Order: sequence, then C-alpha cells, then structure tokens
Amino acid sequence: MRLRARSSCTVHPRRAHPWRAGALGLAAALAACSSGGGTPYTPGLDLPEDEAAASRFLARATFGPDAQSMTRLQQLGYSTWLREQMEMPPSLHRPELEARAAAGQSIQQADRQEMWWRRAITAPDQLRQRVAFALSEIFVVSDRAGALVNDAIGLAEYYDILVRGAFGTYRELIEHITLSPQMGVYLSHLRNRKPDPARNLKPDENYAREIMQLFSIGLWKLAADGTLLRDGQGQPIPTYDQDDIVGLSHVFTGWTYAGSTSFQSGQPNYRPMEPWEQFHDREAKAILDDVVLPAGRDAAVELADVLDRLAAHPNVGPFLGKQLIQRLVTSNPSPGYVARVTAVWNDDGNGVRGNLGAVIRAILLDDEAMHGHRTAPETFGKLREPLLCQTALWRAFNARAGTGLFNYTNPELNLGQAALRAETVFNFFRPDFRPQGEVGAAGLVAPEFEILTHSTITMITNQLYTSVDRHVGAGGTTETQILLDLSRETALAPEPAALIDHLDVMLLGGTMSPELRTILLGHLPLETEMRMRAHDAVYLIVSSPEFAVQK
Amino acid sequence: MKLPDLSRRDALACGVRCLLAGSGLPLLARLHALQEAATAGNPPASDYKALVCVYLNGGNDSFNLIVPRNTADHAEYAAARGNLAIPADQLLPITPQRPQGRAFGLHPSVPELQAMFEAGKLAFVVNVGTLLTPTTKAQYRNNAVPKPAQLFSHSDQTTQWYAQSAAAEGSNGWAGRMADFVLELNQGSALSPAITLAGSTRMLQGQTVVPYALGTNGSVQIAGTAGTRGQRRFAAFRAILRKRHGHVMERQFADLQEQAIELDGLIRGALAGQPPLQTQFPGNSLGNQLRMVARMIAARGALGAARQVFFVRLGGFDTHADQLSFHPQLLSTLSLCLKAFQDAMVELGTESMVTTFTVSEFGRTLGSNGSGTDHGWGGNQIVLGGAVRGRDLYGTWPSLAIDGPDDVGRGRLIPTTAVEQMGATLARWFGVAPGDLAAVFPRLGEFATSDLGFMA
Repeated sequence: MRLRARSSCTVHPRRAHPWRAGALGLAAALAACSSGGGTPYTPGLDLPEDEAAASRFLARATFGPDAQSMTRLQQLGYSTWLREQMEMPPSLHRPELEARAAAGQSIQQADRQEMWWRRAITAPDQLRQRVAFALSEIFVVSDRAGALVNDAIGLAEYYDILVRGAFGTYRELIEHITLSPQMGVYLSHLRNRKPDPARNLKPDENYAREIMQLFSIGLWKLAADGTLLRDGQGQPIPTYDQDDIVGLSHVFTGWTYAGSTSFQSGQPNYRPMEPWEQFHDREAKAILDDVVLPAGRDAAVELADVLDRLAAHPNVGPFLGKQLIQRLVTSNPSPGYVARVTAVWNDDGNGVRGNLGAVIRAILLDDEAMHGHRTAPETFGKLREPLLCQTALWRAFNARAGTGLFNYTNPELNLGQAALRAETVFNFFRPDFRPQGEVGAAGLVAPEFEILTHSTITMITNQLYTSVDRHVGAGGTTETQILLDLSRETALAPEPAALIDHLDVMLLGGTMSPELRTILLGHLPLETEMRMRAHDAVYLIVSSPEFAVQK
Repeated sequence: MKLPDLSRRDALACGVRCLLAGSGLPLLARLHALQEAATAGNPPASDYKALVCVYLNGGNDSFNLIVPRNTADHAEYAAARGNLAIPADQLLPITPQRPQGRAFGLHPSVPELQAMFEAGKLAFVVNVGTLLTPTTKAQYRNNAVPKPAQLFSHSDQTTQWYAQSAAAEGSNGWAGRMADFVLELNQGSALSPAITLAGSTRMLQGQTVVPYALGTNGSVQIAGTAGTRGQRRFAAFRAILRKRHGHVMERQFADLQEQAIELDGLIRGALAGQPPLQTQFPGNSLGNQLRMVARMIAARGALGAARQVFFVRLGGFDTHADQLSFHPQLLSTLSLCLKAFQDAMVELGTESMVTTFTVSEFGRTLGSNGSGTDHGWGGNQIVLGGAVRGRDLYGTWPSLAIDGPDDVGRGRLIPTTAVEQMGATLARWFGVAPGDLAAVFPRLGEFATSDLGFMA
C-alpha cells in the first residue's frame, strides 16, 4: 500500500471535487477534525492515493461508496477508518421489528427484508453490516425453510448475532450460531435427543455434518495457504468420516428452546437454546482426529469442548478466511494472500485466535486487495452479487423513499437472492463454483456466476434499469418508491466528460476502460434532456460488464 | 477444456452452446448464421426425443415411496423405519411384472403415480446410487474397493450423480455429455439442446454443450428499449457488451448477456406461435417448471430441436426433521406434477417421444432420528413415459434390515445398481450410439450391464 505522509486535518481544496457538494464536504471534513462523534479519530498516514482508490476500497468494505463515506475515508486513512467503523455501535435489525410487534403490528419476512435494505443503504456502521452479510452467506439459515417462514423476528435476531459478532472471535460466534434456536430449527439440532435403542432412534446428524462441512473446517485438509494437503498417493485427505459425524451427532443432543417447560413442547423464541440433561447423550463419543470425548459430561460442557476443538483446527483459518476474501475482495486469491490472512486468523498479534476484526482488517489492507486491479487486471476481483449491485447503485445516489422505508421485500424475484433466503444451507452459490466457459476453462472459480443465468442476467439488468428510472423528478413516482437523487449528475450533464469522470469514480473505482468512455461520449450528447442524459449515463454504466465485475 | 476453432459447419452443428467457449468469430455473426440456417424450414423433427430430469433436491426418502407390503418384508421394513413406517394397509398396491418375490405398494400420497405405474407408463429403478464399482458390504468395510468420495454429503453426492464419479475437477454432467453426442440432429438450431428451468446445473453441461437457462414464464425481455430514446440507449448498451473486455469475468458476463438477448427473440417467437396448452398444471414451482418444459416441447419445430434434455427441480427433501409432515406433501406435489406433465405429453402427441426420470443425491437412512432421517446412499428413482417399459422394477431390491447385508449403518444402503447403468439405458434410447456410451459414462465398463431394459 502506498503511504503518504500528510499533516492531519488539512483539507486540500483540490480534493473538494465537483461532485461533492463543496460546502457539505468541507463541513464534514472540519467536523472530523474536531471530534468524530465524541471520540477523536486522528487521521492515519495511509490515506487513499486518490478518490478512485477510496471508491475501490469502499466497494469491498461497505455496501458501496457514497459521498459521505468517500469523504470520511479520505480524511481518516484506511486504518483509522477501519478502527472507527469497528468501534461504532452495531445497528441491529431485531429490536425495532420487535418493538413494532409489541405495538401490535404483524411482523413478516417482508419487514425483515425492509430492515435489511434500510441498514445496508443507510446504517453508519457499513463495514459491520457488510461483513455480517458476508457471514450470512457462510453460516446460512433461510426463511425458505417451512419452520422459519413465520419467524421474522427470530431470523432478524439470528442476523444480529452476525452483526454483533462481525469483529469478535470466531469461537464466540460459532457458539452463538450453534445455540441459536433458528439455526437449531434450520439444521434440526433443536430437540435432538440421545439414542433410544428400544425405539431404534439415533440422533439427528444434520448439524454435526454441516458445522464441519460448511461452518468450520470443510471436507478436505488444507495447508495454511488454502491449497489441498495430499497423502502419499497424491490424494486429498478428508478431514472427517461418517463415523466422526455419528459421534458428533451425539454431542448436539439435549438442546431446546430457552424457558421450555418440557423438552418436546416449548414456546419458540430467539434466546440461546438451553440443555435438558436427561435428553443429552452422556456416553463417550469418538469424533474427528481420533479424539474420544469422555463419558458423563453435561451438554454445555461437552459443547464448549467440541467448539474449542473445531475452532482450534488448522483448517479453520484457510477455510473460512479464504471465503471471507472471496465475499469481500476477489474470487481467486493467491495462496500467499490466503496464507497471510490465515496467519492473522491463527494469531492477531496479541495471541488471540480467530479475531474476526483483525482478519477483516488483514483482508482489506492486503497488498493484493489494494493493487490486484493493476497486478492481475484480467482476473482480480469478483462478480458483484446482484444484491450488491442494487446497494451500490442506491448508495451512490443517496436513494430514499418518501416513506423513509425500503420496501423492496422480494428481491429474489428479480435479483435471484435476498438476505437469509437461500434455497439450501449451501447458499446462493458455492465458493468453488466454476462457470462453464472462459472463466472455468482458465481454472478460475467465480462463485457469484452460479446465480447468473440467461434468465437472471436480464432480470437483474432490468431491475437496475427500473431503479435508475425511478429518480427524483422523473414524474409518476410514488411515496413508497425508492428514488435516486441524480441532481448532481444532472448538473454535470452538460459536460459529458465531467459526468463520466464522476461516475467512473463512484461506480467503477476509476477503472473505466477507454472503450466504454468512448461509447458513452458518443451516446450522451444524443440525449438532450440533461436529467435523462444523467439517467442514461448511470444506467449504461451499472448495466455494463465493467460494473458487474468488482475490481 | 480447450476447444478447437470451429468451422462454419461445426458452428451449425454446435449451436449456441459452443458460443461461450469462443470460436474467434464475433458472437453475433455466429448467432445470425445459426438463425438463418434455422429459418430454412421448421416442421417438428420426425424422430424428436426429449429427456426430462426431475431433481429431488435434498435426498428423497424413496424407501417410503415404494414399500414392500407382503407380511414378512413389510415387517422387516417396519422394524427398520420405526416411527416413520407406513402401515401396510395404507399403501397403494401396485403389481410389478417381476416383483422379485414380494408385493409392493406406493406411499398413500401418490395415487397418480400408482395409476401411471399400473397403466404401464411408469417404472422404478430400485436401489440405484453412486458407485465406482460393484461393492459388497465386506468390500466396503475392508476398503477392498474404491468408494465414492465424501459419501452422504449433499454437494459431493449431487456432483457425483451428475458427473459420474469422474475426476472432481470435471465440470460437466452426463445429460450434457449425452447432448454432445446427439447435436448433429439439432443441426441449425441456435438454441442449446440442454435447457434448465432451475438455474445453473452441472448435470446439463457437456464437453461442448452449454445449457440454456429458461425462466418458468419463458425467456426474459430486456427493458427500456421502447421509442427513439430507448432504441438509442439500447444501441449503446449493445455496443458496450460487444466492445473489447479486459477482464475474463467481464467477457463471460458480456457473452451471457448477448446470448440472453438474442435467444430471447428466438424463444419468444417460437412460444408465441403455439396454441395454448389445455392441460392444467399445479400452481407450484415444479408445476410451473414442467409447464414451461411442455411449452418448449410444443415449440420444438420452431426451435429446430430434434433432441432436447430438460432439467427441473423440486426442493425440500432433506427431511431431517418433521418428515411425517413434510414428506407426504413433497410426494404429493411430485405425483400431481408428473401426472400433469404426462397428460400434456398426451395432448401434444409426444408421449412416446419424451421420457421423464427422477434423480436425487442419495436415499436416506432407514433408521429414524425420532423426527426424520439422515443422509443415506442408494435410493429408488422413477422413469416415466410412453417409451418406458412400465409396471415393473429394474435393479435388485435390497434387504431393508438394519445391519443387514446391504446396510453400512443406520440403514444406509449400498446401491445394487449404479447411476451409470440407469443413465446409459436412457442414453441409448436418446440416440447415443453404443460405441459412444463409454465416453458419456467413463466407468460404465465396471458394471455388468449397460442396459437395464426399462426403455422400449
């Protein structure tokens, strides 16, 4: 990363670019110099080299750059901005929904989706919200499961586990996830019980399998750089076998809803599950790596032991660290990048293992993240998920509805995904998905391409078109519609080159190709109404392959 | 996969499925050449055939779909299944021609399947699953034969059902590879012979075939192109797609969007030219998918298709919990939708040209966890259509005894028939030459027969 020494709290006039409302930008800059909301944040030395660099960073670390975050990042520098973000109080999803329910409103999944958009677009703790979303695509639960359809508040609390835990330790997070009754319903370890030989009943294996396959260590033994370890015959080495799953399935027995008056019937709620020892298996259990758990232990003691062991497994860093890199930065990180993140996972510098805040920092500040667009221009980056195309568009142009709500509650119908709404625990896409065609032939993965088909690609493009069409001043809009503010762009429109430069920074992180610029410069003057010229410029960029791939 | 440059003839034979791989010709030139060829004349091909793959996502508990009902075998079944056992008197009786010394019935939720079975339109391939070679329990226990990797894992077993246990790195599936071998018959069609109604799937990817993904309401038309302004903007949009792209994912994205737009025109036109289907389909996801498959089959002439393979999906079969509530609903949905689809094939006069079959990544444990079942191995699959030798069972019915000769634990049954054998039987009917079967199913030679006999 390029470091630039700069005295703190100077506002360089040349940085007040025309797209930024001058007075607002300056005021914000000065405010930051006095006190950042009570806590002073002294700008660091690692300032973005230019606005484009700030925009690229924010595309990874937030739901998309907007004027405010661009200003703040350029004031504080990367490290201090990250610290400020991590220290902000979490914007939670559940409490408001719960309060509305208490006031008599019926809270549905639609309300949870509205809350998700509102937080994604407007919450100040953008980094936390963005990381929580990434975690929600690894530790998957879904309102598509019949038993969770009517539990919007419970799923909002599950999401808040991820929001609160985004920068905590993995060990804490996996415990909260494991004891979440929503996860307990989704992967059916809620009310899982010890064997009943008389009735030929065995414990449910679902959570035992998926916590290992998806939530901790994965199927194959990995080197610290994320590559497969191999045995003497060159074959990959499984991390566990079916007998290990059977053993582990006995560990996850005896848990049900907190406050239940009987094991089999209890009022659904979102508090951590509680153990009923008479339903917990107290025999010895063989689990992975030839470990035998001793007999006679209580459910919570045994659970803590097992989670300790999983969290200590050498696979966790490369397995989950690489997926976080994929969700935020690039689909195909180099082994070196994965290894650097694993090193921080294994020890944050203070002897703490699985410090997710430190891991996120390492992912975002890595040289490969910062310079990949230059060092590997043909392959660095990732396809933007459809939801992230939508958030980037809405944030860049400060989109709001007259009602203040973001009532876009079934985005899966046009975008192919929605928060906590995957078809299965395998998410909307797999981290090793290799699309047929040039990407796959090059030996690369591109997970987000699993959503993208001949049907969805046009649905997504059309949704982006509709979103751009709905802007302040467009006419025929309603109170509930989410409208872009294109006033700045309309003001720039008489000078197409200036409009393009501005949109290049905001939407493409300054990576616009000369060919795209040429086509836009050819088209825009044909549109003589300035509002529509701004509209066309935004649409043609967000529908372009260059926007589709975050670099 | 490295593809050679395509000659014009190859391009015609290959169709749009090759376009992603890139042939050096501009995409549009290729598409337009194909469409011109396609308009030469388009009566339905006289030897049209289609396969419809119905994926039961999650692992169907198919030993509760078809169940032995004679006293001794039902007792063994009931002992294994505990609280999940269906009482013999609730089973819908069926009369297989070769019942393997037993009597059988179907789950009470599937009267439509019972009727189609008894009418000779439907058969079961029993205890079929992923195998690398025929495997006994002793061989399994002693690691005396190679086993499929990561048995009992959803993602891995789905991949292996499709890929046929080829190297894990392979990205194609046997339905796609079958389509590779019958492409010549679709000469001139710009549309891929492999069509998914359920999004991306490896099953339909071939060596050269790239599947086309269709929505349940048809293809999707690009918005915002109306009027002079819209047309001007659309021209700029297309110019951006067709420009040089520096990033490999940008190129793939641009190609996909271009194909989507071009093929939308073709499919929209073909579907609009057909009379509406009279058959009513259930208004659920599977019903919507199968209705669109039927509409595409109706439009086969306009689409220039002589061979097509379709992929649809019904989710929710991972019944770890509350199986007694969920599984009957799933089976009922499946039964009603397959019946509607079969009725539509009769309506279109294509009953003997279209064969439908189910796949599912694994069967489930016979043993219960009190509420549901866990991941198993072998399972039973449906084949359905006018060309099916129906009212029969194909493959060897296993022992359902817990810890019996076929059980490797909790009633996870070693398959007695391999996926390859079921697939090769379908492929032969579809038109893959016997000499090409080994290319579609590399391990076919491991198994005793490549023709289970269920296709006429």
